[in-house]
Amino acid sequence: MPISDLLQSYLVDNDTWDEMYARASVREQYTKAIDFLQQLSPEELNKKEDLAKKLFMSQGITFTVYNSGEGIEKIFPFDIIPRIITATEWDFIERGIKQRLKALNLFLKDIYSNQFILKDGIIPAQIIFSCPHYLREMHNFAVPYDIYVHISGIDLIRDADGTFYILEDNLRTPSGVSYMLENREITKRIFPDLLPNNNVRSVTEYPNILYRNLVSFSPRQIKNPTIVLLTPGIYNSAYFEHSTLARLMGVELVQGSDLVVDNHKVYMKTTNGLQQVDVIYRRVDDEFLDPLVFNPTSMLGVAGILSAYRKGNVAIVNALGNGVADDKAVYTYVPAMIKYYLSEEPILKNVSTYHLAQEEEREYVFSNIQNMVIKKTNESGGYGMLMGSAASDEEIFQYKNEVLANPREFIAQPIISLSSAPCYMDGKLQARRIDLRPYALCGPDGVEIVPGGLTRVALREGSLIVNSSQGGGSKDTWVLGSQGLAGESE
Amino acid sequence: MLSRVADSLYWMSRYMERADGILRMLKINYAWSQDDIQEFSWKPVLRIFTSLNPEEINGFSLNTRDVLQYMVTGKENSNSVLNIVTLARENARSVQDHITKEMWQCLNDFYHTMRDDNLAVALQKDDPITVLDILIRQGLIYVGTTDVTMARGEGNSFLNIGKFLERAIQSSDILNVKISGLGADDNHADAAYWKYLLLSISGYELYLKTYRGGFEIKNVVEQVVLSDQFPRSVIYSVNHLHRHFERLKTDHSNEGFDNLNFTIGKLKSRIKFSTSSSIIHEGLKKYLTEIRFCLVETGMSLNKNYFA
Repeated sequence: MPISDLLQSYLVDNDTWDEMYARASVREQYTKAIDFLQQLSPEELNKKEDLAKKLFMSQGITFTVYNSGEGIEKIFPFDIIPRIITATEWDFIERGIKQRLKALNLFLKDIYSNQFILKDGIIPAQIIFSCPHYLREMHNFAVPYDIYVHISGIDLIRDADGTFYILEDNLRTPSGVSYMLENREITKRIFPDLLPNNNVRSVTEYPNILYRNLVSFSPRQIKNPTIVLLTPGIYNSAYFEHSTLARLMGVELVQGSDLVVDNHKVYMKTTNGLQQVDVIYRRVDDEFLDPLVFNPTSMLGVAGILSAYRKGNVAIVNALGNGVADDKAVYTYVPAMIKYYLSEEPILKNVSTYHLAQEEEREYVFSNIQNMVIKKTNESGGYGMLMGSAASDEEIFQYKNEVLANPREFIAQPIISLSSAPCYMDGKLQARRIDLRPYALCGPDGVEIVPGGLTRVALREGSLIVNSSQGGGSKDTWVLGSQGLAGESE
Repeated sequence: MLSRVADSLYWMSRYMERADGILRMLKINYAWSQDDIQEFSWKPVLRIFTSLNPEEINGFSLNTRDVLQYMVTGKENSNSVLNIVTLARENARSVQDHITKEMWQCLNDFYHTMRDDNLAVALQKDDPITVLDILIRQGLIYVGTTDVTMARGEGNSFLNIGKFLERAIQSSDILNVKISGLGADDNHADAAYWKYLLLSISGYELYLKTYRGGFEIKNVVEQVVLSDQFPRSVIYSVNHLHRHFERLKTDHSNEGFDNLNFTIGKLKSRIKFSTSSSIIHEGLKKYLTEIRFCLVETGMSLNKNYFA
């Protein structure tokens, strides 16, 4: 076998967990893939990279950036080298996420009804009632099967010793699942036979599971309930995802203007008149969903939809008001929720978090600011955060003032270095920081997680921020089957 | 089907038909411009396919490359092929789940071809026919892909309604503009004049086979308005429009359907029970204007009854 330069030029930071490399040798799960890649010349790899780009472009897997009145099509950057997760690692992640979602669903039911967790003093009431995503409108209203979080995209990262941590619970309208599906399709095209040879588990079941769940949430128990996916429209950066999911599930893709509410029932306008809608998988935020109740200037929602929801005439997925559970200040209490509701020890750890509203914690964070990342509690997507290690004195000074003006809106976490994985860039393998977002689906029969997810990559060398809005890319994410099966497939 | 979806499918299809019409027209007129510098003018093309008024057309540079630039890649021209294909793609994008993935990819490829800077350069520097042929072929791939992959349901009916309505309007416009370039019953126009008119709507060979021996305005009218055999004739387009429209009929009565059915049926009989002599007798210009009015009325009625 020709020894290619691929591995020789690969540099790993000693204080970082690398997914492929451990003490100068390739981890077992990566050996087959790396052997395969080493047989390809840089020219061939470049060709594969080009092919991947072309496939994304011609399939319209793009988002549009509007600049000076003209739309420019951009691809969400894709790295051709897959990220590989072993069967053991996956089993651990899967158990951890299931446990967490069980607790979070119980928490939402509790917080919107009896509020035992507040009365028992597990979570300070102040934190809940000051959360802007806590919705009084959701009180004392039974959602089907007590499920609030039907779809979640929980973000995981790995510390220097390889321990998995939960970074964020995305419980509102998590996006990116279409990239999990499309990245896999691209890998099939650019590396023929590589997937079966590595015994990689399939992710294609995702839309089927989601569809089955959506049907079961229908308030009318009829044979073919009408299920729609509500999108903000073609100018939304995730529009590609909305149309892909609608197509894969065979459900109608609607905009707010396609729906009307009459007598507390939701209808869609069709060429044959009005047709009643039973289940809405909405990709529109709470705040824009009903101009009568929330933001009155919203053009994306449907007037009266909340009353139809509360009457139980339509199911909305995910439920409204979930933001109270993925608020970054409430996040700190998820391990306590797990103990309180389930009497279990949390399987997946939280990153330790400081509340800047508490004076001692704030003092501590400010005096160790070089090792801290400060985030806004109700922002996501990498917006409004401060990386203490990379910020200038001036930026730190300004940010501190912002914090002091409104400390409830900020939390701080020690900077975690994130694990690295090989990426093919400029003709060689280079280590870049990554995270992992598996997609979990809650239905009447429990939580299901397709083996895979979205691995996001910080494309700039040394950067720890993987968000696509901050110049991140993605990788195909492989979860390997257990060893016995690997033997059979050969 | 959602009203918005039906609307988008209909317009996507109309725009694609229009792009095809413009491209063929440009190709043939370019060839003509190389052939006959005395008789040739770009004015009819601009009159048929742009929203410029007569004064603006008179002031427009009639340099061939300038016209091609304006008609194909011109950003400021709302009816340029670039803008039309962009609109078709935007419509397709909003109904991606109602067309097949192949159709979407095909429109997306067409769009990226139009956006390629090299295309605009080639149109100025190289052989325009080669460039136009590439674009015409992209359109044909769309037509073929649609035919082979699109499910024969309501969506397909709206695609065809859009396509044939647009085609009927185009054919009547082309004939109207070209004829009004002549005197009332001027049979003595240059043979090249008729030849290029027919070529631009792919009807030249059929004409030769049907009529042989020279051009007569009566025969041209017969083919472009009344021929059942000619796929771009007004009657052919209206018949197909009606056929696809009738498939929208449902079990429960729909007032909108009945109204439109009446409008289209009336138009169909008006054409069916005309002859080339009767048309010329009552005045070709008046006749074509009346037909066009009915076609536009059909479009507005669809809008009111199905898309609103």
